[in-house]
Amino acid sequence: MASRSVLLAILAVGVVYMIIRFAFGIGSIANINNAYPWGWWVGFGVLSFIAFGATGFTLALIVDILGIQRYYPLLRPAIVMGLLFYQGYVVVLMIELGRPWMGWLIFFSWSPTSALFEVAWCATLYTICLVVEVGRVVTKHYGWQALWRALGWIYLPAVIIGVSLSHIHQASLGTLLTIVPQKVDVRWWSELLPPLFLISAYAAGLAMITIEHVLATHLMRLRPRLDLLAGLARWQVAILSIYLVLRVADVVYRGVVDEILQLSWLSVSLWVEVLVGFLVPLVLFSLPEVRASRWGLFTAACLVAGGVLLNRLNVAVVSMRVEHWETYFPSLGEIMTTLGVVAGGILVYGWAVRNLPIHSEPPLDAAPGTSAGAAQAAQASA
Amino acid sequence: MGQKAMIQDNTRCIGCRACMVACKEWNDLPADDTQFFAGAGYQNPRDLDENNYTIITFTENVEHREWVFGRDLCMHCAEPACASACPTGALKKNQETGSVDLTDWRCIGCRYCMQACPFVIPKFNYDSVIPKIHKCTFCADRIEADLTPACAQVCPTHAISFGERNEMLAEAERRIAAAPGHYVPHIYGKEEVGGTNVFHLSAVPFERLGYPTGLPKEPLPDLTDKSLRFVPRIFVSLVALFSFLAWIIRRRMRWHGTLEER
Repeated sequence: MASRSVLLAILAVGVVYMIIRFAFGIGSIANINNAYPWGWWVGFGVLSFIAFGATGFTLALIVDILGIQRYYPLLRPAIVMGLLFYQGYVVVLMIELGRPWMGWLIFFSWSPTSALFEVAWCATLYTICLVVEVGRVVTKHYGWQALWRALGWIYLPAVIIGVSLSHIHQASLGTLLTIVPQKVDVRWWSELLPPLFLISAYAAGLAMITIEHVLATHLMRLRPRLDLLAGLARWQVAILSIYLVLRVADVVYRGVVDEILQLSWLSVSLWVEVLVGFLVPLVLFSLPEVRASRWGLFTAACLVAGGVLLNRLNVAVVSMRVEHWETYFPSLGEIMTTLGVVAGGILVYGWAVRNLPIHSEPPLDAAPGTSAGAAQAAQASA
Repeated sequence: MGQKAMIQDNTRCIGCRACMVACKEWNDLPADDTQFFAGAGYQNPRDLDENNYTIITFTENVEHREWVFGRDLCMHCAEPACASACPTGALKKNQETGSVDLTDWRCIGCRYCMQACPFVIPKFNYDSVIPKIHKCTFCADRIEADLTPACAQVCPTHAISFGERNEMLAEAERRIAAAPGHYVPHIYGKEEVGGTNVFHLSAVPFERLGYPTGLPKEPLPDLTDKSLRFVPRIFVSLVALFSFLAWIIRRRMRWHGTLEER
């Protein structure tokens, strides 16, 4: 398959850069420097990956805690994707940390004043919860009865703790940069960054599930559950509305409307983020015609994903202005390592979808209502 | 004995850079192969890095056709943003001496301290395979041996003074009061981000020396503390809320026979 070759090629380039990084140091592939110590790796690989990893906790909240069981067909893709995004962020972190082999020290320290300490603990504990959730699927599929039953006992507590952990660390990612009000541009710096990050993580999670569902059912020729995606779209309308109201209120309250109306690259980046990434999809999701259309939903979800990605990059990279002689623009090495991780994640997910019971929708050519043939369709597309 | 502090009186500095040499000697830092560069400032090396924990900055005062000097070094904040940001406790404020201490082996190279520092002081050796954070130590080892920091020890014009923090602050205020036209009426480090243990004095406004100005007066760790302090409470509340919701909803679904066991 051509697309798989492309992904493998991107992964290979990323791996080459990673080897260079570990052989010759971070400076050999990255543009981050003493004035701009974080950059693309943190904005894209950490903040965005974790935001997209919200697939797992949003669907677990809907299905397992709120008991809205009709969304169950979306739960498995959601938790598997969630786990992969969290693994992807760990890989980027291993490249990004200066001394990754000492990373374990965080778990033998007590630094409750550090947002990074809090994020590291919660994200790691949450990954364990995701392993339990995904483990239920895997152990059942391979017939490991004892382990499956054991995981069943701790499944609900893991979901409850995992969803709670997700709320606090998604918010704490917003806390990370509140400590530098003089470096983050006023257009973005706000004490409301934590709740804004949490709400946009909901939007990113639901958007990623929509994108995955449309693509997977299309590629595997399965019958997409447009009724469920339309339901998520209604949730999105509420989430995006709350987000935009909070965002506008925050800007007005902080009195930075003038800066935002000033024509500059920063303002343009903000307008693209808020209008194209949040407002346009809000309008799209609220139109019944879009909610009935597979590719309409897909487009709106892609805009939300792009909006959240741009928001994280804006906060962590674009808005950073350090009064210093050094400047920063991401290097090819920084971008290719993260794209390599993305490509690797897609390849692993493709394998998982073909080999595990993640999608159980009936195939397109089967009569409506029959669930037989989903497995065959999965095999056929492999 | 209280915390120590330093006065960097830039009006007394002659730009001899003996402090830089003494700092390198005491901290065993290698010499640099430096190059002239174009741009603002004419100091050499251009900036702090893993081999330079302090530098004298050279800026041209165009109006008076003279050099004005400044100095980059760790400000040893009273409530350091770097230490509050450090996830492993590698950076800690020493309440005895006043220095912000770095425990080398605890550094994992996350660079959150660099991001958090309002004075852009901690540096990282990006070109090393085993990098870590580097910054001025306040010569904590010398202070413990009742010596003054190396830079203060060698300064030939007494531009660097060192002593008890209260006395240093009083001395800085005395100098400004004694020669009001000579100094700008501002002790840099007295109120910046909640106060520091290094006080800078200058004859020209500090932004002209390239010092970060317009910093908030409250300690920066307060900004993250505003949300982080609620994390444990919010976590416990969320677990309680979600447990209750899951329990009551499942109970109802079991009652109605709609709960699907998987």
